[in-house]
Amino acid sequence: MSRLELRAIRKTYGKAERETLKGIDIDINSGEFLILVGPSGCGKSTLMNAIAGLEDISQGAIVIDGTDVTTLEPRDRDIAMVFQSYALYPTMTVRENIAFGLRIRRQPKEEIDQEVQRVAKLLQIEPLLDRKPSQLSGGQQQRVAMGRALARRPKIYLFDEPLSNLDAKLRVEMRTEIKRLHRRLRTTIVYVTHDQIEAMTLADRIAVMKDGELQQLGTPKEVYETPANLFVASFIGSPAMNFIPVTVQKGDRGLHAMVKSDSGETIDLPLPLALSAYENKEIILGVRPEHITQIQAHKEGQPLVARGRLTIEVTEPTGPDVIALVNINGIPVHCRIDPDHPVDPGDVAELMFDMSKTSYFDPATEQRITL
Amino acid sequence: MSTQIGVLSVPAKRPASRVINLIQAWLPKLVLAPSLALVLVGVYGYMIWTAVLSFTNSSFMPSFRFVGFAQYARLIANDRWHTACINLVIFGVLFIGVCLALGIFLAIFLDQKIRQEGFIRTVYLYPMALSLIVTGTVWRWILNPGLGLEKLMHDWGWTSFHFDWLVRSHLSVYTLVIAAVWQSSGFVMALFLAGLRGIDPSIIKAARVDGARLPTIYLRIILPCMRPVFFSAIMILAHLSIKSFDLVKVMTAGGPGYSSDLPALFMYDMSFTRGQLGLGAASAIMMLGAILALLVPYLYSELRSKRHD
Amino acid sequence: MTEMVRKPFSFNRVLIYTVLLTAAAVYLVPLVVMLLTSFKTLGDISSGNLMALPTHWTMHAWHKAWSTACTGVSCEGVHHFFWNSFKMAIPAVLISTGIGAFNGYVFSKWRFRGSDLIFSMMLFGCFIPFQVILLPMAATLGKMGLANTTAGLVVVHVTYGVAFTTLFFRNYYVGVPDALVKAARLDGAGFFTIFFRIMLPMSVPIFMVCIIWQFTQIWNDFLFGVVFASGDSQPITVGLNNLVNTGTGVKEYNVNMAAALIAALPTLVVYVLAGKYFIRGLTAGSVKG
Repeated sequence: MSRLELRAIRKTYGKAERETLKGIDIDINSGEFLILVGPSGCGKSTLMNAIAGLEDISQGAIVIDGTDVTTLEPRDRDIAMVFQSYALYPTMTVRENIAFGLRIRRQPKEEIDQEVQRVAKLLQIEPLLDRKPSQLSGGQQQRVAMGRALARRPKIYLFDEPLSNLDAKLRVEMRTEIKRLHRRLRTTIVYVTHDQIEAMTLADRIAVMKDGELQQLGTPKEVYETPANLFVASFIGSPAMNFIPVTVQKGDRGLHAMVKSDSGETIDLPLPLALSAYENKEIILGVRPEHITQIQAHKEGQPLVARGRLTIEVTEPTGPDVIALVNINGIPVHCRIDPDHPVDPGDVAELMFDMSKTSYFDPATEQRITL
Repeated sequence: MSTQIGVLSVPAKRPASRVINLIQAWLPKLVLAPSLALVLVGVYGYMIWTAVLSFTNSSFMPSFRFVGFAQYARLIANDRWHTACINLVIFGVLFIGVCLALGIFLAIFLDQKIRQEGFIRTVYLYPMALSLIVTGTVWRWILNPGLGLEKLMHDWGWTSFHFDWLVRSHLSVYTLVIAAVWQSSGFVMALFLAGLRGIDPSIIKAARVDGARLPTIYLRIILPCMRPVFFSAIMILAHLSIKSFDLVKVMTAGGPGYSSDLPALFMYDMSFTRGQLGLGAASAIMMLGAILALLVPYLYSELRSKRHD
Repeated sequence: MTEMVRKPFSFNRVLIYTVLLTAAAVYLVPLVVMLLTSFKTLGDISSGNLMALPTHWTMHAWHKAWSTACTGVSCEGVHHFFWNSFKMAIPAVLISTGIGAFNGYVFSKWRFRGSDLIFSMMLFGCFIPFQVILLPMAATLGKMGLANTTAGLVVVHVTYGVAFTTLFFRNYYVGVPDALVKAARLDGAGFFTIFFRIMLPMSVPIFMVCIIWQFTQIWNDFLFGVVFASGDSQPITVGLNNLVNTGTGVKEYNVNMAAALIAALPTLVVYVLAGKYFIRGLTAGSVKG
């Protein structure tokens, strides 16, 4: 269990003009599960490799438990990594795979055997120990890859999209398994994924990256409910947050914005008073689909709740709810509706807007407007 | 976004591991060094050396009296070189053409879910495992004007059959083509077969669903897909023809006279039996030039297409 | 046949098989001729024809080719040449393959700035016509005292074989996931440990391809043999050529064929036993990546 500090890490490849990492600062606490998410090419894998020591960085420092390891070779950093492709040594048995790191470090044989047994038990792969990786299923290979990492009891664990090669069902199982392991062992984990569900479910904190920059660092709840900018808001959540550009206006009952449904009806959306600095200016409303939904009696009459009649264009039942597509100001908007309130394409439905959960963004800076 | 730069902590100093790390960092380069040296000297250095020789009047021993392009002038005026070059063109064009035609033909036939495909392929390819000296020896016997093919045909009842190309000065170069095609066409077949197997079967399915017949599918869809195979096969065969030495040495030794001479044999004779090092070097450089003239456009187009991908 | 639905008898299928089998027969003719001729007496040769069976099967030509036929000045058959070829080929194959394996490992898994350039430079060595290096190489071997020695031939074959072996291994190792090397580095393994413990155990197929390719190339080489060797270091190809072109009296085609078969035997045996790898080498060496 160790603390990992990333200090102003910059990375430029060769003579390339573009920086791959543009000054990343993250402190990862001992025992914390940190997830790096971002679209491909955002630099998350480069950052991961930099932490492991597999790639040099151009500037900055990587500090583990107060020791600067920036210039150390991977083997001297005491880090283990689980790879997307598992990277099991194909010519070795499962046992040899798990023991390899310990053998290289010249541990006594009995200790290695004990450790292999411990890890195999932990991951329930004891019956597989004498098999070759090619004889294992994807899920089993995944477990062995984790076993190899666990065997060395390193200070830091790195997971590089470890579940992306598994089928959907197995992925959910392994996700739970990883979470259980982390609960139990309380290890420091840095985990790269592009799957936002994985990020939301596993992380203590999420670091959202884009173009080599850290966009937001926070708990899953913070990142979901108070995204720092348009990018984070659109990246986290599925279906994505709806963005509706509106002009803030002053009315008799406070601030509000007028939007039009595609049938031409006007909907009056109340806005919080804190937006008064934006009066007569344009802002972007960020509304999650679940906050445009069927009429809920218990919310009726609350200050930041509005109603509007909207034509349903398309419905996508997902099981637990129905995603309905409507048009507001000519922009397609997703709403999340309870399947017990059936709506059909072509219906005009009365929907409720919960503006108290809405995010507001400045269209110029694309940053969140803090209230 | 936080942009504050933390205070750098003291780097962990481990002198022993530092040295090891340094060695580790240099290891890949150290491992390559001997090969790089071999290549720098053995390929590039020697190429330059030969080029230098070609500008001297070296005869039996290398000398360093530079005579400019005199050796090249001699070469171009040399009748035997002239014959060798014309022969190379005849040999090269026929060899490449026949090999490609046979190779494609056999590959397409062999790609029809043939039983015993492995065995048949093995038969087509075994000549590639032989030395060209062996090939030359056997074909010299088969094409023997008195006792070879001619006699066989006579015995089998075709009494008017006449085949004495091996000893006819304007025909002996064609015997080289026969032997070389036997040696290499199976290899071209293997290249095309590999190419055919690399084509996405769903393309063929799509074409069949579109109503195309098999010959149309091959002509209009599959062969155009094999452009890269064509190019690499032509490159390899052209390269083989320019370097061709063994076969002509053992089959005809350039004869009768020097009627079936090829540049590689010319170079060898001049350099190692006639004591004309300068002339030999000049002919070697001309051969290199010919290969570069093929190679450079090929590599250029390869690199360009890769960049476009 | 496991195919469930067999297309009914079709003219096309018959045509295809006829063409393929005829072609196969034609390809086999020279080998059959070689074999038949090598077991004939000179009398049989002049009275019969290429495809006629010997009236009297005899090993005489084989004996003569092996131990008494004239190859230029000496008349001791080709057996010296045959062993020379082994003495040359085995070390040259092993050394060039070993170097190629390390080079390929560096070019694929330990790339550094400039390594791609070096690789291209080495690759160019596959393309040059060797005529362009013969004269300087002869001079260098002379200076090093290696002229006309088997060691000299080994040096030459290693120098010009490394480009191919490097290409083989590099292309093979490029297909090995980088993550394996990363994992091993995190496990604490260094350059050589990763090579010997991780890469080498999974390299058996490419070693086969490379060794077979190199052996065939080196065994079958004639140019280097005829230029850089003399007398007691000449390889079998040179011996065969000398035997065939030693024109004294009547041509003994049966001896020529027996000698040709002796020269062909090792590579043919390798081809029959491991043709799969040989073909892979052929196509890998030509479709450069």
